[in-house]
This record gives sequence, C-alpha cells and structure tokens, in this order.
Amino acid sequence: MSDDVETAFDLVACLERVRANDQAAARELVEHLHPLVLRIVRAHLPRRVAEEDLTQEVFMKVFTRLGQFQGSVPFPHWVSRIAVTTCIDHLRAQKRRPEFRWADLSENEADVLDAVLTSENDVSAGDALAARELVGKLLDQLKPDDRLVIQMLDLEQKTLIEISQLTGWSTTLIKVRAFRARRKLQKLFEQLQRKERS
Amino acid sequence: MKNPSTAWQRLVAAARQAPIPSDDIAPYGFSTRVAALAMAAIERPSLQSSLNRFSWRALGLSLMLMIVSILANYSSVTTSVDSEQDAGLDPVEEILTLT
Repeated sequence: MSDDVETAFDLVACLERVRANDQAAARELVEHLHPLVLRIVRAHLPRRVAEEDLTQEVFMKVFTRLGQFQGSVPFPHWVSRIAVTTCIDHLRAQKRRPEFRWADLSENEADVLDAVLTSENDVSAGDALAARELVGKLLDQLKPDDRLVIQMLDLEQKTLIEISQLTGWSTTLIKVRAFRARRKLQKLFEQLQRKERS
Repeated sequence: MKNPSTAWQRLVAAARQAPIPSDDIAPYGFSTRVAALAMAAIERPSLQSSLNRFSWRALGLSLMLMIVSILANYSSVTTSVDSEQDAGLDPVEEILTLT
C-alpha cells in the first residue's frame, strides 16, 4: 500500500462508520489492515493452519471487540496485539513437533544446517529461503511462548519494549523466555552435531 | 566444537535475507466476506449479553411487583395491626378487673 493511500485513509471516520454497522466501512477497514495482519500471521503461522483462516479469525476478533477499543494506543497496535495473541493461542493448541531429524530436512535445508554447524562462514544469500524454512522447523521445537519471543527478537529484530507491547508480557519475562529458548536451541544444535558425526 | 549460539545467529541472519512475500493485498472477496461475517456477528447478540439483558429486566420487573404489592396491601396490613392492638387486653388491667 502506498504512502498516499495510507495517509488518505481516514481511520477514525472509518471506525465510526463500522460502529454504526456500515458494512462498506468494515470492508475498507479489512483492506486497510490486511497487510499488517497478514505480516504478523505469516511470521507466526502455526503448522497446518491456513493463513487466510487465521487472518479471518483475527479480523473477526477485531470487529467483535471493537467496542473495547478505548483509543489509549494507536489502532494498528491494538490490532497487532490481537493478531499476536490469536497466533499464540493457535501455537499453544498445536501438538509439539516430534524429534527434529536430519532425515526430515530437504537437501537445501540440510546443506544450510551443515554449513552453520561446521563452518564459520556466513550462509550464502541464495540459501536464504532454505535458511528461513530451517529456522521455522527449529522454532517448532520450542514452547509456543518461547518460540514467539525468539522469533521476534532474532528474526524480526524487535526490541524488548516492542515485544512487551505486542504480547503484554513484562520485559523480564521476555528475557527469561529468550534465555530458555536459546538454551533449548543450543542443545538442539549439539544433538544435531553429534548425530552428524555418527 | 563450534559455539552453537553463533551457528544459530548465522542461520537467523541468513533467514532474515529471505525475500518477504509481497502479495499482501487481500484475496478477491476476502474483505467482503469478512465484513459480512463481522456485521452479522455484531448484530447477533451473544448468549452472555442476552442473559445479562434478561437478568436486568427480571430484576426491574420483580422490584416493580414488590412495590405494587406493598402499596396494594399497605392499608389492609396497617388495619389488621391496629385491630390486633385494639383487641388485645392489657394483662394487668385484666387481673385488676377480675379481682
């Protein structure tokens, strides 16, 4: 969405019309917020949940809770928080992935993993997609809350304050979860390295 | 053995370079469907809100009935109390009368 369209969109007026049950305004609001919601959903999409279904669920929550929006935070922040908590709920509901195995990786993913385990060189830009897939599979091994924290910190490079605003968790809790997640990842890398040697 | 956290950091750094899909415009019909569903959900009251509304109505009705019944029976209640007081003899006076 271009900046012109962004500035031209009158969010306050649109919200007023939505509150008056104007369906056209609701449609405009969905179109305006779709990129924001989709970005969050894609970043935290649980396995076997369709991104469109999850996006729709977020929007339904936004509309049904619209009466609770007091305007103390910007509306996009409020929507982001609903999107994040919806993703967390789905991540918590999904069963933990079975043990991480080399055999489950594609050839590209295995190459990338081998490269980061055995070489100090950076992974080539051409392997970025494989690296992202691999990161997703590794993150699946973590507890949902820990996964969310480490993903926001390391992948999305959000600050502790930003994560706190999105999740409602204290910065201390976020640090604890990040520590726990990194320790788990460390053990995972050690196991993978041992298995590779054997 | 290499430092695993460094391996993770390098892996994540590579993952960050992956292109972000740019098809972030809502699919055709998505916004219309969501808006229609949302409006229907807003117009359809939930069970909790219905119960809430009915309980307040029931409370108001019961208060009104209570006030009406008090007003309707006030005169008969006060009359019966007065007549009981009138009919009741003073025990001291009764003993004196007998003696």
